[in-house]
Amino acid sequence: MNETFEDRLLAELKTEIAARRQARPAPAGRRTTGRRFFAAAGVLGVAAATAVAVPVVIGSGTPAYALTKNPDGSINLKIHELRDPDQVEKDLADMGITADITYLPLGKWCGNLRVTPVKGDNFSLTPEEITSKDPAVKARMRERLESSPSYKAVEMRNGITIHPEYIKPGQIVMIQVAENPVEPTVDNPGVNWQVAGMLSAGPVKPCQVIDEPGAFEIGDATPPPGS
Amino acid sequence: MRLKQKGLADIADDPEAFEAFYRRHFEAVTRFLARRVGDPHAVADLTAEVFLAVFDSAHTYRPGKGSEIAWLYGVTRNTLLAERRRSARELRANSRIAGRRLLDGDDIARLEERIDAESPARRAMDAMAGLPENERALMELVAVDGLSPAEAAAALGIRQGTARVRLHRARRALQKIPGVLPPLIMEGQR
Repeated sequence: MNETFEDRLLAELKTEIAARRQARPAPAGRRTTGRRFFAAAGVLGVAAATAVAVPVVIGSGTPAYALTKNPDGSINLKIHELRDPDQVEKDLADMGITADITYLPLGKWCGNLRVTPVKGDNFSLTPEEITSKDPAVKARMRERLESSPSYKAVEMRNGITIHPEYIKPGQIVMIQVAENPVEPTVDNPGVNWQVAGMLSAGPVKPCQVIDEPGAFEIGDATPPPGS
Repeated sequence: MRLKQKGLADIADDPEAFEAFYRRHFEAVTRFLARRVGDPHAVADLTAEVFLAVFDSAHTYRPGKGSEIAWLYGVTRNTLLAERRRSARELRANSRIAGRRLLDGDDIARLEERIDAESPARRAMDAMAGLPENERALMELVAVDGLSPAEAAAALGIRQGTARVRLHRARRALQKIPGVLPPLIMEGQR
């Protein structure tokens, strides 16, 4: 890896510049409406695209997460630390996105369907489909997934990329993230994080926390006990 | 060049201008800190603090009043003094960027090398410890950090005449100390 402390610190500082630039035009104690804010963000986005290749960071700029408005209108959410989900929601609201953000420790998950599925979302799979090895069936499943509004609106790329053009008025972006508080090792297997993002046509229901032991199963890399 | 006409006002605003400034001075800032702080993590935290402080005070830089580096050493020095007043823990809790979290193993090794390389400077500063505070601050900037007396005056926000008098006094006091100091002092004379 060629990147050094010097480069990484520069990137953080540039994020800070963008956050400051964004914070300045809003008069203290008064929040701009989503619509007007969007207009301003659009102008900033264009300026950034022409001047330098630095994403414009919209939001409070706290190190827990970074919200970036891309020139194409999409919004990039990078979560560095699972704290203050309410602030993420507020900052997204300022960008015109109603969101419900839930953070959980790894090994916990929400056992209930929290969203009211939006029209066009169809993730239900028949047992035949799940076990099928037929490439045509798999391709159909994939096609159905990729054509669903939730998949298009909340893209798991570069952190989480939200595409507002696929979110209809009144729809809510539900994001839930579970993070492993410890670095996974051979002795302590697990994934680093789990994330789910989905659109909801109505209010997002509270999370009913259940155990999700699957998060700690990472396959056959470690021998089974007793072997 | 716009930077020269307008001072540094737009480095807090313009990522491109800031990057140029940062690349010009990053090494000088870490060296300045490595001469005064023995721990790579603390150097990283402080480096982040210094450049954040640059955002807040970029508008105070006046091109007519000295070089960029003199001004930046002034900012660095103030950051360091502020840090010594607060506890390190408090500093980290309040900081917007935790520098140490951006370090990998190679970075730590590089900073440790830098800290080692600056050990003669630390010895020189130890030798100056007996001077009155205002003379010592000036001597450090001139003899150890390599600023001209005029630049050091700008860094400390004092008049050049005042600086000359203090330096003269400090040098006379230091001549009694054998060893590293005389050549270092001569080096600072430009």
